[in-house]
Amino acid sequence: MMLAVVLMGVLVGRPAGAQPPTDTSSTNSAAAQASAPATGQAPVKKQLTGAELYSIHCNRCHAERYPTERTGAQWKTILLHMQVRANIPGQQARLILQYLQENSGR
Amino acid sequence: MNKNTKPGRRLFGPGLTVGTLLLALPSTTPAAVSDADFNALRDTVQKLSEQVQSLTQTNKLVEQAHEQDQQQIQELRAKLSATQQTAEDAEQKSAAAAAAQAEPTPGVPIDEATVNHNFQMLGDAEFQYVNADHQNGAFVLADFAPIFLYRGGDNILFEAGFDTTIANNSPNGGDYTTTFNLSFAQLDYVLNDYMILCAGDMLLPLGTYSERGAGWLNKIPDDPLAVDALLPGSGVGAQLRGAVPLGDAGKLLNYSFYCVNGPGSSDGTGDAASLDLGGNVGLRSDGAVANLHNSPAGGGRLAVFIPFKPRYDLELGISAAVSQWDNAGNHLWMAGVIDAALHLGPNFELKGEYIATRYGSDDLGTINQNGWFVQAGYKLAGLNVELPGINNLELVGRYDALRDGLGNTTDQYTIGGVYYVTTALLLEADYEFINSSDPTQPSNQLILQISYGF
Repeated sequence: MMLAVVLMGVLVGRPAGAQPPTDTSSTNSAAAQASAPATGQAPVKKQLTGAELYSIHCNRCHAERYPTERTGAQWKTILLHMQVRANIPGQQARLILQYLQENSGR
Repeated sequence: MNKNTKPGRRLFGPGLTVGTLLLALPSTTPAAVSDADFNALRDTVQKLSEQVQSLTQTNKLVEQAHEQDQQQIQELRAKLSATQQTAEDAEQKSAAAAAAQAEPTPGVPIDEATVNHNFQMLGDAEFQYVNADHQNGAFVLADFAPIFLYRGGDNILFEAGFDTTIANNSPNGGDYTTTFNLSFAQLDYVLNDYMILCAGDMLLPLGTYSERGAGWLNKIPDDPLAVDALLPGSGVGAQLRGAVPLGDAGKLLNYSFYCVNGPGSSDGTGDAASLDLGGNVGLRSDGAVANLHNSPAGGGRLAVFIPFKPRYDLELGISAAVSQWDNAGNHLWMAGVIDAALHLGPNFELKGEYIATRYGSDDLGTINQNGWFVQAGYKLAGLNVELPGINNLELVGRYDALRDGLGNTTDQYTIGGVYYVTTALLLEADYEFINSSDPTQPSNQLILQISYGF
């Protein structure tokens, strides 16, 4: 049963490694990312930034660590660990990683 | 050209001569001057005048030449200055090069190309002191719990956690025992943004405490009674887990489903006291590879995580597991957990779990167990009071209940505090009031702990 679910997931979902890098330069800005509102269009949707997602997910279990505590490469490994442990979706994990790497110790 | 030459002096001589001649002419003898003398004198004056004009032009030319010479001198001085500066620079560079050659060659810079950051070590360490009534106070725990991570590419992670502790062997023997336990060891493969496949010895998501209860994460030094007594900490098998976003505001549906070997029997029988929640790891000590009973265990957890804004969130989860547990496979063990966690800002946390388990036995029939805990913490930084150290202090409290289904009931009230030296270095002090039907349990105890998360 589990094998079938896994196979279905592999077939349906895009492999994370094959995904193109997400352009998060705008979504990682301090201001909330929002598409320009226009008359008659759907309401503006706020997309959480990497910094916000970092606060949200860290605070579930512990206080946030300073991004400067690790290098960008170290954060990549640690964040993969936290993605598993805290059940963080891949896209959110990438935003968090970008935030950490931009503010890392090196 | 001599720069001290005075052009005016050249004019002074001829001018004086002309003046002398003019003065020498007799003013009272106009009739005596012949035309020839007059013409001669006129010619002389005319020549002298021309000579003066020539000298004046010459003087102008000399002045112009002098100015040109001055400009040339300034240019030469500027060039000399530049040349001197160039020479000084060259001297300095030469000295620096000589000094650099004299010094030892600096080491190769550490950069991403020369360091393997795929390997990381995280974890925690604890040091604990306990003073319980009717017992001697003692430093009871020195725990080092590293977690080793190895990332293979973007999607593969191997992680393993260990616990190293020491304990004395009284009252049955001297010396002490060092234990080295494998807490978990699993391989994680990220299938896509929403699915992760895990395999190995895994912390089981029955509730959240087992996965989020490391020493520096737990604000109270000891584990909740019901978690310790009623749930397995880990299981050997495979797991599929992940999260699906519910909208763009950060809401998530968390899920995990797993298949593990499940609990076993400590002596192979189906007696109630023989239930061994963590004993069935799939490899017998005699080397045989076999599940101790016929079927593996299955379980899972579903939860919704609702962040209102950063640090304000609510998580509600439900989890369950079922397995055979005795060697004959005659009895089932089942567990169900409801968990909840609430954060209202960075300073307030409330969480709890209700746990119910049931298992069959040969001697006592069906055993129904349950327990729960509710834990709250408040960081005094939220009071905005400017007193020394108060912003580093968090007050904590927990209520524990355990009904083990074998006649023992325990209620425990814990109050205490955490002093955050840093965000990861914690000094914890707790006092527990214990009301248990088990006479071997103390009625109260003090626990002090130093925790460090790295």
